Amino acid sequence: MQQRRILDEFTVNHELLRGNLATPKWWLPTVLGLLVVVLFGFTLMGIMFNRGLGVTGLSRPVYWGLFITTFVFWVGISHAGIMISAILRLTQAEWRRPVTRAAELLTVFSLLTALFFPLIHAGRPWRIFYWITPYDFARGIFPNARSPLVWDPFAIGTYLTGSTLFLYVALLPDLGVLRDRTTGWKRSFYTVASLGWRGNPRQWRLQTVAGILLSALMLPIFVSVHSIVSWDFAVTPAVEGWHSTVFAPYFVVGAVHSGVSAVVTMMALMRWLWGWDNYIRPEHFDALARLLIVVACAWLALTFAELIFGVYSLEAPERALREMQMFEWPWNLLFIIFFLTGFAIPVPLWFFKRVRNNIAMMFWTSILVNIGMWLERFLIIVPGLSRKQPFVFTWDSYQVSPLEWGLLLWSFAWVMMLMLLFSKFFPLIPLFETKESQVFTTDVQIGRVTMPAVIRELD
Amino acid sequence: MATTSLITDAPDDRPSNIESTALLAGEGRTAAGTGLKRFMWLLAALSVIGFVGIVFRFINDDGRQDWGFYAATLAWMLTIFGGAPMVAIAPALAKANWVRPVARIASLGAIVTAIIALLMIPLLFKFPALTQFSEVLGDDVRRRSIWFDSRDYAPHFWNVLILLTLALVGIAMAYVMAIPDFAAIRDHGTGWKQRWGKKLARGFYGRPQQWEWLKMRIGITGALYFAMLLYTNFTFSLDFAVSLVPGWKDSLFPFYHTISTFQAGIAFTIIGVWAARRWGGMNKYVGHEQMWSLGKFMLATTLLWFYFFYSSFIVFWYGRSESDSATIKLLVSGPYIYLFWTVFFLVFIIPWWIMIWNKVRDSVWGPPIAAFIILIGLFLDRIRIYVASWSAVPDDLELATTSILQDMPDTMWPDVFDVFIMVGLPALGLLSILLVTRLVPLVSLWEIQQSRLITKPVRFLRSHVQLVGKPD
Repeated sequence: MQQRRILDEFTVNHELLRGNLATPKWWLPTVLGLLVVVLFGFTLMGIMFNRGLGVTGLSRPVYWGLFITTFVFWVGISHAGIMISAILRLTQAEWRRPVTRAAELLTVFSLLTALFFPLIHAGRPWRIFYWITPYDFARGIFPNARSPLVWDPFAIGTYLTGSTLFLYVALLPDLGVLRDRTTGWKRSFYTVASLGWRGNPRQWRLQTVAGILLSALMLPIFVSVHSIVSWDFAVTPAVEGWHSTVFAPYFVVGAVHSGVSAVVTMMALMRWLWGWDNYIRPEHFDALARLLIVVACAWLALTFAELIFGVYSLEAPERALREMQMFEWPWNLLFIIFFLTGFAIPVPLWFFKRVRNNIAMMFWTSILVNIGMWLERFLIIVPGLSRKQPFVFTWDSYQVSPLEWGLLLWSFAWVMMLMLLFSKFFPLIPLFETKESQVFTTDVQIGRVTMPAVIRELD
Repeated sequence: MATTSLITDAPDDRPSNIESTALLAGEGRTAAGTGLKRFMWLLAALSVIGFVGIVFRFINDDGRQDWGFYAATLAWMLTIFGGAPMVAIAPALAKANWVRPVARIASLGAIVTAIIALLMIPLLFKFPALTQFSEVLGDDVRRRSIWFDSRDYAPHFWNVLILLTLALVGIAMAYVMAIPDFAAIRDHGTGWKQRWGKKLARGFYGRPQQWEWLKMRIGITGALYFAMLLYTNFTFSLDFAVSLVPGWKDSLFPFYHTISTFQAGIAFTIIGVWAARRWGGMNKYVGHEQMWSLGKFMLATTLLWFYFFYSSFIVFWYGRSESDSATIKLLVSGPYIYLFWTVFFLVFIIPWWIMIWNKVRDSVWGPPIAAFIILIGLFLDRIRIYVASWSAVPDDLELATTSILQDMPDTMWPDVFDVFIMVGLPALGLLSILLVTRLVPLVSLWEIQQSRLITKPVRFLRSHVQLVGKPD
């Protein structure tokens, strides 16, 4: 609000459609580079399907390792979209406007990526279909519908469908603008995609109502998705450290922490790559950082509860696990990195306005958060399985194989490539939101002070 | 098109600053009416009955289980009065303009936290030490608590200290938020109110630096209060409920307790707003906008109550261990099953179905009805939790240190002294707030004036809207 730029509609269209109507020089080499990594990742998957899960570090008793960690991580990132777009829309936060599209996009692509990991983790992914189609009636083999593992695909599928719809509904006015400014096959494509959008009052009313309704509908789905992911672990009393009631909100808040941080990373990249200084301004990073401080503090409180209750029961195995997580090599190193990057370095820095308004600092601190949040998931999943249990005689420690690291790298390249491809065809900052913001904000003079003002509905 | 060209002036029917000052700080502030006086005398009588209840509770004391209703009443008071100031803090930090007229009503809840801290003293005599079994079972045997290697009476000491700190910070916050109003009373009031206004205004004349200081102090005390409220809920709920039940291990419970505190705080504020309109003559200051906004928050916290409850429940339900099953039986399906279902309907189902309708949220009658139902429901919820916890006294000492509740206690029913306590102590809390409102305006005058300064009703094309300034 404080750094508002007055822009006419021509300038908004010209600047925000620059990436769609022309191709920046850096775009093609970057996409090609990412494509190489993506193809390399698919090759690794092929090798794994061919040779079996033995090429990974997974072995008794650690059956869930880097793949499941990365699955949880990307589901977490997907929480950015709804947090930024739906919640801020419902609370009428004016600063949300340039951020929403990128956040919604991150939701869709990170969910698509997350879905890959349980599939490849299954080793023979085609067998996943047996979950959907019970195949052996005679032996009574059915998927256990009471298991959160079965709820997961339904929750994520619903979330993906809803998020895609949410993204598409918000895209319609911009597609109408693109249709009117393109020719040839692109015009045909945008004509079909814009669903006859003309911007008449009825269409605007429907689009607004749809946005609000979808926001409200998506909120419970958003909460349920990561809660169900957390119950994959929490309903399992057999694994030390997993059977904890706090897991559902802990996972959801952690997901918001990492998701909003990912949005910050993306916003900084968008500003640098496309030069959108008039739209993505330091005030937006400031607002996101304030939001992150609140979320990070809530996350810290839940982390504290999770750790303290591990020791609370005074049970020897649980205490031993916590000791291993925090004090035994190499977990102690990972734990320190997790805590420093997830909270101790970025959050105190965000308390300073100069840091909040410094885009480079926000970029690097947001990356730190996601390093920490990935490690958090790893530290939840692996140590609990690794600790030696009584009466288990086959034992080996989990070593992440190069193939798994390769697939982790693939997932980042995959998401970035999808983003860049999207940016070629659709605007990454919503045109209509930007124009609406220009209309709904103004400056008012109060005494000797000029301050920004917004127009609000009267009840 | 420039926005300014789309905006035209609209009629402004808000009360003028002179009118507001006269009503809230000057001659308009009349002495308590007969109805209010009678109500305050009634509350005073009920408070005395509450103290009688405490005395007789001590005399007829058969053990820890007799103090469950007392603990539940204190927990309920902490839930309501401790949570209310959050309504003044959280939206204000987010620069929500609608909260200004209700900030005072909400912040006054903090006054009662001091009373809760004092009322906790009798409970401490009945609260077991960490090493209560050491005489029989050996020095190294301690019951489970979050005070792992602390001294025997760590929970007693820390809980009192934490509650006192909460009270101190809360009262400081309520006071700081009222300083400009005391200055207005000094300048426009008469008699004893003017004298007190002069003392409490502490030389506030509204200089720019004084406003800067005020803003900073409100920010600091508000943030501190929020942190202290979380911490208080954390320790109180763990020490006075969870740790008393062998085998109850629920890392989400402190947050469940906190969320219901927010829910109750909002409900209390809504009822306060309704009362201020109904009997306080504040119709021009608090109305639809406040009810609508508070209603949305109450709906959100109602849904969160269910989410937190269910997140715990499903883990216990699927866990199926002996301790998980015993915990579910104690709190849900066992001696308090009917209470549980009543709570479930009063705290979640009914308010949810009332508040889900925008027309109801946007009315002045809908939110108060839901708020009243929620407060009753949360009282029963506190009984379900605290009475169950305080009645889980193991017969076998060795079992007290194990991780399983072996002997399921029977349903505890309140006796006449419990009823005295349950009626009297909340009445004392309410009375203390009403006494304070004799001096402090129920609606903050300076917030109203500031709101009038930065908002303006205007016409935007054909619509009547509000232009809201956003100061840095």
